[in-house]
Amino acid sequence: MNEITVHLKVNGRPHTLRTAGRTTLADLLRDQLGLTGLHLGCEQGVCGACTVIVDGLPMRACLTLAGACEDSDVVTVEGLDGPDADRLRDAFSRHGALQCGFCTPGMLLSAHHLVRARQPLDREEVGVALSGNICRCTGYNGIVSAVREALEGGIAAESAAVTTRNHEE
Amino acid sequence: MKAPDFRYHRPTTVEEAIALLADAGDDGKVIAGGQSLVPIMNMRLAEPETLVDLTGVDELRTGSKTPSGACYGATTTHMMFEYELVPDVTRGLLPHAAAGIGYPAIRNRGTVGGSLAHSDSSAEWPTVMAALDAAVHVRSVRGARTVPVRELLLGFFTTALEPDELITEVEVPGLAPTARWGMYKMCRKPGEFAESLAVALGEAEPDGPWREVELWLGAAADRPLRLNSTEEAVRGEAFADLLPDRLVAPLAADLGQDLSAIDPTGRHALQLHAVTVQRALQSAERGDTA
Repeated sequence: MNEITVHLKVNGRPHTLRTAGRTTLADLLRDQLGLTGLHLGCEQGVCGACTVIVDGLPMRACLTLAGACEDSDVVTVEGLDGPDADRLRDAFSRHGALQCGFCTPGMLLSAHHLVRARQPLDREEVGVALSGNICRCTGYNGIVSAVREALEGGIAAESAAVTTRNHEE
Repeated sequence: MKAPDFRYHRPTTVEEAIALLADAGDDGKVIAGGQSLVPIMNMRLAEPETLVDLTGVDELRTGSKTPSGACYGATTTHMMFEYELVPDVTRGLLPHAAAGIGYPAIRNRGTVGGSLAHSDSSAEWPTVMAALDAAVHVRSVRGARTVPVRELLLGFFTTALEPDELITEVEVPGLAPTARWGMYKMCRKPGEFAESLAVALGEAEPDGPWREVELWLGAAADRPLRLNSTEEAVRGEAFADLLPDRLVAPLAADLGQDLSAIDPTGRHALQLHAVTVQRALQSAERGDTA
């Protein structure tokens, strides 16, 4: 086996790992770090269940070699934290935006990236932005509603913050 | 499935990368974003012995204007074109094309050089770069050369690159301020590979007819095709007359198909291509993509 050493940060914690050169980021996270939140559906980049954040951007962990993540900062669903993550969790719960749950980690990470951007999107636009995440239960209505609600919540929080600041001045 | 075992190298300079490729011989393969290569390795359609990963070579991820257009490092990602983190010299065509590739997570890793080296005619860059008459700069330990994209793409997953050669840059000529472009990708779901992909470039009168037009079609053959007969049918015509039905016959000629002998599946594909070409022309005509 052709082994390599990878240094990377996962959910804020640094790791140095020995692994096979052919190991994908998905297998590294699941098998060596026990982070089984990300799921492997297709291993061809189509289903989106393995989506994680690498250096601030959503990527397919199944199509990213572990070796290419040298010095990278990786966030998985286990490390998804902060007000936007809370908004998404609440909204997913309220809208019943998961059925079997297999796609949920990927949905949350893709959606988190959208919500953080604070750009208003209609249902159609959310659908297109999430077209790389497949829900085989076909529960898209709830998912799109939840993401829109979290997005609007994020935007409202920004305006509230601005109003408060202006008021204080 | 998982990829078979391979030796993995992650050089930090082009010199190092081409030396590794030369050592690897015929069983070496370059990986950039890996968004096409990893799936085909996972499916065991490709089983390279040695992989040379370019993600550590910073000098390949740059873009700058040149006197005639722009030069993009081979590992410039689709996302960087989409959000214009590299200069656009095509009046919006490159960002528009990039935004249609796969999904955001794919665009964040996939690269322009990788897509051209992969040579899948249903992908965006082969057809768009052929239409723009872009060229790739290629390096190996034996030297450097420049290959026009139109000569680079030889067929499905087949290019004019030697096993030890590496695409380092993609050079794109700028579009004239008066040029119009149109592009249409036919696919059932956003992000899928195209069932048909057309690019129209040229000069049009403000009120419609094309004075000059060049048409390119992807996903119809093993490489992007220039549609000479269809161009002739379009040139000088008022846009309202250019319905898909009128494009079918010249398209069949361009694709080398005999309309009288075509089967229903082939006829359907031809109709899809005709509609795609018409919509590419239409989007240029309205100027909403220019």
